[in-house]
Amino acid sequence: MKNYDFELRPEDIGLLQLSDSFFPTGMYTMSNGLEAIFYGNKKSIANPMDLLNLLKVYIENQIGPADCTALGAAYDQIAKNNLPKLIEVDNIIFSMKLVEEIRNASSRSGTQLLRCVGSFVTDNLTMNGYLKAISAKKATGVFPVALAVSAHSLGIPRNKAALIMLYGFTVSMVGAALRLGILQHFDAQMIIHQLRNTLISTIKSNIDRPLTGIWQFAPGIDLIQISHEKMLSKMFIT
Amino acid sequence: MSSKRIPRVGVGGPVGSGKTMLIEQFVPLLAAKGYNIGIISNDVVSKEDAERMRKNLATERGLMPEDLVIGLATGGCPHTAVREDPSMNLSVVEEMETKYTNLDLIIIESGGDNITTTFSPALADYFIYIIDVTGGDKYPRKRGLGIETCDLLVINKIDIASIVGADLSIMERDAKIVRGDKPYVFVNSKKGQGVEEVANHITKYVLFDQPPRAITPKANQ
Repeated sequence: MKNYDFELRPEDIGLLQLSDSFFPTGMYTMSNGLEAIFYGNKKSIANPMDLLNLLKVYIENQIGPADCTALGAAYDQIAKNNLPKLIEVDNIIFSMKLVEEIRNASSRSGTQLLRCVGSFVTDNLTMNGYLKAISAKKATGVFPVALAVSAHSLGIPRNKAALIMLYGFTVSMVGAALRLGILQHFDAQMIIHQLRNTLISTIKSNIDRPLTGIWQFAPGIDLIQISHEKMLSKMFIT
Repeated sequence: MSSKRIPRVGVGGPVGSGKTMLIEQFVPLLAAKGYNIGIISNDVVSKEDAERMRKNLATERGLMPEDLVIGLATGGCPHTAVREDPSMNLSVVEEMETKYTNLDLIIIESGGDNITTTFSPALADYFIYIIDVTGGDKYPRKRGLGIETCDLLVINKIDIASIVGADLSIMERDAKIVRGDKPYVFVNSKKGQGVEEVANHITKYVLFDQPPRAITPKANQ
């Protein structure tokens, strides 16, 4: 091993596996309202920088202070082996998702993530307890909490679990933009590259936030997502 | 996860091949035998198919509750939604299974796609692939995973074969070559021709000729 190498660990594979768009969570079906912007006012995303700036709003004002905070709080409760508190986090972040399609999609995606990881991590008490709570409809399986449970079961640290979530969100949004024809494939990779510092700073700002301080404020995006939910002809779940 | 897996039939095929109409035709035949059925319709760019089936089969004919016809958007990836990553479909299936425990069958219609469409075995127990004569009589011999591997190949719109210059005997010959002993059915969905045979295949190979759950002695207890 050279002095510029790091020791490789099985958890690194887990991190790659969960962050790969090949991992089955159904996130490719969502555009988080981007499709409504595309059809409603194409000029509002006239170039890749417009999309980059829009994604910063999503990350810094919606996903970061809400989902990232929930993921951090959920991970803390998993580490304490406190299932009732974990379920409380689940219920809080679920209730904060204002758009029904997004709430349902987050739960469906999270539940399938758990089922998939649960097919090869079979002896994790927290995961099994959380899955039972979902079946009993005491928990929703909402994605940030499901990811915290899955990541913890694979030995992935909390901040890297948050990175998986924010990176996955970014890739799914850029992927949706590609399929909508908003940008081309080099632009997509440039946007992901440009967002590196935003992703990291968002995690640092939110992962230790107490659950009582969880928030989101992006009313323009809320309205876009609500209007997308009502669109008759659309390619994406909101 | 729900306690009991309800049998599932996947219906796939290219855009405009007649997937929705085929379902609209065979579901009433199965419902007439007392089977309770749910439908999930994956659409590429709208919810039109799901809304049409909900109106025709649930609202107007009362063959099922309206919330047993569900439309799903696929993010422009209809084949992914039923094969590589069927997460959203599986979630909706589980929700149906949990809410309607007396269901006999769930139909999952894929979004219109190309001839490589297949269903994940985790999602569908039986796979019907439908093509139509307007693509030309070369269609079966072009193969593709859908045509080759499906449990039942349906060749639709046979009433207009002569108009579009498609020779049904060539399609039949090539279907046999490509599929070996696996079955195929010629259908005119618009008039219902051949649809009973499709329903019979489902009854025999998916439902194993079992009576509907709602009227089995166990279900009545």
